Amino acid sequence: MNRFNPHPSPRDRTRRDFFWQAGGGFAGLALADLLCRDALASSPHSALPHFPAKARHCIFLFMNGGPSQVDTFDPKPALAKYHGQPYRGDAKVGSNGRPVGHLMQSPFPFAPHGNSGLEISSLFPHLSRHADDLCVIRSVHADTAAHASGCLQMNTGGIFIGKPCLGSWLSYGLGSANANLPSFVVMTDPRGGPIGSASNWSAGYMPAAYQGTLFRGSGSPLLDLATPKGTTAQTQRRSLDLLKSLNETHLESRPGDTELMARIESYELAFRMQSEAATVVDLSTESPATLEMYGLNQPLTADFGRKCLITRRLIENGVRFIQLYSGGGHIEDTWDGHTDCIKNHRTHAAETDQPIAALIADLKRTGLWDETLLIWGGEFGRTPTSEGVGKPGRDHNWHGFSMWLAGAGVKGGQAVGATDEFGFKAVEERCHVSDLHATILHLMGIDHTRLSYPHQGLNQRLTGVEERHLVTKALA
Amino acid sequence: MTPPLPPALLVCALAMVPALQAVDYPREIRPLLRDRCSSCHGPLKQKGDLRLDAGSLIPRESHREILTRILSHDEDERMPPEGARLSAEQVALLRDWLAEGAPFPQDEVVARAPAEHWSFQPLSPGPVPRSPHAHPVDAFLFGNGAAPPRAPDTSLLRRAHLDLTGLPPTLEEQRRFEQTPDLGTVIDHLLTRPEYGERWARHWLDVVRYADSNGYERDAAKPFVWRYRDYVIESLNRDKPYDRFVLEQIAGDELDDASVETHVATGFLRLGHWDDEPADPQTDRYDQLDDIVSTTGQAFLGLTIGCARCHDHKFEPLTTRDYYSLVSIFEPLERPRKGRTELPVMVDGTEVYAWREPSAPPPLSTILIRGSATRRGEPVTPAVPVILASRQPDFPAPGRPGTGRRLGLARWIADEHNPLTARVIVNRVWQQHFGEGLVTTANDFGLMGAPPARPGLLDWLAAWFMQDARWSLKELHRLLLTSRAWQTVKTGDSPIRYRRLEAEAIRDSMLAASGQLNPKRFGPAFRPSIPAAAIEANTDKTSVWSPSAEPEASRRSVYAFIKRGLVIPMFETLDLADTVSSCPQRQVTTVAPQALTLFNGDFANAQATHFAARLRREAGPEPEQQITMAWRLALCRTPSEGEAARMKAFLAGESLEQLCRVILNLNEFVYPE
Repeated sequence: MNRFNPHPSPRDRTRRDFFWQAGGGFAGLALADLLCRDALASSPHSALPHFPAKARHCIFLFMNGGPSQVDTFDPKPALAKYHGQPYRGDAKVGSNGRPVGHLMQSPFPFAPHGNSGLEISSLFPHLSRHADDLCVIRSVHADTAAHASGCLQMNTGGIFIGKPCLGSWLSYGLGSANANLPSFVVMTDPRGGPIGSASNWSAGYMPAAYQGTLFRGSGSPLLDLATPKGTTAQTQRRSLDLLKSLNETHLESRPGDTELMARIESYELAFRMQSEAATVVDLSTESPATLEMYGLNQPLTADFGRKCLITRRLIENGVRFIQLYSGGGHIEDTWDGHTDCIKNHRTHAAETDQPIAALIADLKRTGLWDETLLIWGGEFGRTPTSEGVGKPGRDHNWHGFSMWLAGAGVKGGQAVGATDEFGFKAVEERCHVSDLHATILHLMGIDHTRLSYPHQGLNQRLTGVEERHLVTKALA
Repeated sequence: MTPPLPPALLVCALAMVPALQAVDYPREIRPLLRDRCSSCHGPLKQKGDLRLDAGSLIPRESHREILTRILSHDEDERMPPEGARLSAEQVALLRDWLAEGAPFPQDEVVARAPAEHWSFQPLSPGPVPRSPHAHPVDAFLFGNGAAPPRAPDTSLLRRAHLDLTGLPPTLEEQRRFEQTPDLGTVIDHLLTRPEYGERWARHWLDVVRYADSNGYERDAAKPFVWRYRDYVIESLNRDKPYDRFVLEQIAGDELDDASVETHVATGFLRLGHWDDEPADPQTDRYDQLDDIVSTTGQAFLGLTIGCARCHDHKFEPLTTRDYYSLVSIFEPLERPRKGRTELPVMVDGTEVYAWREPSAPPPLSTILIRGSATRRGEPVTPAVPVILASRQPDFPAPGRPGTGRRLGLARWIADEHNPLTARVIVNRVWQQHFGEGLVTTANDFGLMGAPPARPGLLDWLAAWFMQDARWSLKELHRLLLTSRAWQTVKTGDSPIRYRRLEAEAIRDSMLAASGQLNPKRFGPAFRPSIPAAAIEANTDKTSVWSPSAEPEASRRSVYAFIKRGLVIPMFETLDLADTVSSCPQRQVTTVAPQALTLFNGDFANAQATHFAARLRREAGPEPEQQITMAWRLALCRTPSEGEAARMKAFLAGESLEQLCRVILNLNEFVYPE
């Protein structure tokens, strides 16, 4: 205790104390949380996980733009029956004054799959082979009709910027399992990022160390990872050696200063990352059969397939949370099928179906399936009506939509909850986005009411202050 | 590969080690009591006539029952009754602490009742303690004891420059100081430099959640918001009295002597994030008002009033009525806009980023039940929190222009009888100079905030600041920097903390060393170049960011465009302030991406190249001279023989550019003594 401040705030208890007390020295330090000096409340790690975790890793397959539930995982025969007739229910249809058309049946026939008979549309022939692994939640609902606030809600639990996202909470709560790689990785679509961009992987009011790290599928995967142009590897090493030597001399005037020691180590860690991260994206060690399974040999699936394969490799290397975006930029470059939802979904489903199925199969092959949780979905769903009479587009629908969970701790081969007759509103076992978050944290071994971070006088939580309910039927 | 043990496992292993030391009450026990007990057994509620929020309040005869109830498996009996059970470690800590006799610091500040909370009381500045130390700050801190050793002169020169201007001393300034090593003269001089305002404005911009864009899908630039940033810089440079600074930002448009400048000041109220396509416009309106009320409460009063939006504050004596009474003060404000496009207001031909307050009668204000915009409760009128005012201030009658509501609030905040205003700002200034506030929670002086480390000193400083210094921040800087306390060597046992520079000061120091710093002041923000990888992840990757040309991009960091949806990666990784809500103090994290940015990034490498060219130009071709000048520019000292020898050996095989890159990455470069 500093004798000039006899009242250290609880925030004085730093990660530094924790790591040194734990005797781990720098071996226990990880990339994402090397050292945080101030402002952290007593580290949550002492109590985490709150109970044995089912999953150690989490993959969020984010279908950016909002996929249509009635064309994917929520069959609605009534739409065929009333196709072309006006909707007369009480759900608020559409967003932002866009034209409202009539009820529109799905052109993609549904069929039962697997032993469970889970119904999946013809958009996903590859994924359908894993029907018995999927737990579709058909009753998810959100609070907003706009992409920006919708993506924020799905990622951070709130519709405003400034909050930490799911991956940040997991990094903060569980730390990293690999010192040389980030614990929270984001891979965006080559067409662009999601609306709201970096707000979607921001650490908000938490230290920046907990934010998502953008990872590129080729070249230099991390920002500023590559040695500067014109600098040879030998020069880089010699420069680092001189830096270390001068810093160590400086340290002699402040023996044992943990911040200085950590900063010295951070340069060595950065150097090690250069090789480790480069190894992760180097797919030359994968067999041709594997590359083909992920669809790397076809232009349509190559990008998402590559990201899925890198995802498996990141998981193998202990990365905690990975988020993959399908779709980026605006409207038809994403799942945002305003103009022609049919053509739109045919494209985006075809880009992702085989890679996702390959990822599931590969995780099973490597044994990582039992410790990895998969989440699939977008920021909201789409209207069962067309956007404009006689048009093939569908507008945003936040009253009820489908997402699926699979993998560690998930009871597959079932659909939980239900929307109304037409697929507008979640009516049975309604699952608010925050209920979904609570369930995800639960599977990761975290009681969502007990993982908090102090900010603006409150202990803030991912799931907010209202009562939340786990989707217990989804739990194995 | 085998991953190292996750931290959780390490701690579990740790918890099994029997306690060797006494339980650390301030760190282990008080936070636990406050988090888990005080909402029912605290200053606001005392269920069972029991308070458990501070060690001094827990009666000895309750010790046994506390443990029994915590351990009880009867759900009707167990404590706390809601939320999770206390963990095994927490129970063990409490048990050990109680077994030790529940010790607590004798000077623990505890309010018997909320109204008695220390920061709600009028200032009670006692006399400066009798002490051999002539400086009042030293007399308070050291009493009759000895002060820790003074830092060497050159360290203090560098410390003063970085503290007051955010830039290292130039070679000329170093030479002048060597001839006349008088720190007082240096401090006086630095306080007249325009760089002082540029440095200290950034501290204030942190507190007021400044950013240049709105965030969300379009993340549009706030038109002319940079005039507010310039207003802060100029106000500080002109040493505008702080009470006036407060008045202008809250109600500059309602002042008798309103001017373009005071209108610009009210940009403070409009700095928040804004979604131009809100999920629910009605709720959104109250979210914007909440941003204003929360920021005003934290920035000027150190109160987390925003937490009383949905229900009475759980931990502070602030009610929803208090909250909505404050909301009503700002409710007449309207955002000038055309559809989704924000507009500035025109004041005497100048575009000003501020709200508009129409002269129409203000809307009826009510409490919103549970914070819901559609559930109106009782009507409210403008008022300040009841706990802080024995008598409500006058809210002036509506006049031209405006309703006078904000002026009433601003006058009450800027009044010297307000118990919080001076304490809060004095503490902020102390925090920036000493690395840690006398109150460590600079935005929270409420019951849940940290108590003051030195209540006597804080009150004396606050009173001195208002009465003797007439709210002059420059006088306050002068007072603090001339104390021995500020001039001590930074050790674990000195009142001044050893702390890394902020992102802006690191970047600006690099530009100063390389000779590239463009001193151009004021005006629209510049955009430094951003690595392509960071831009690719943007929705509008082709149009989101057009970088400025290098000379423009070499201006001081306070002029850089802060885009809420795309924060400059170098700033972000070096712990820039949160751009969404008031930031009381920067974080200091140490992570590998910082090393990547500062060692491999384009900006650092470009500065290393310029730095080397400068050395060749100014120091000539001899390595010895180049090395010496490099260290003086970067570190304000000459290298030791050993250091110089290693650098010289390095230069035998590598370039001067490489050496410069190493120097800009030294620990000593970012951790000034």
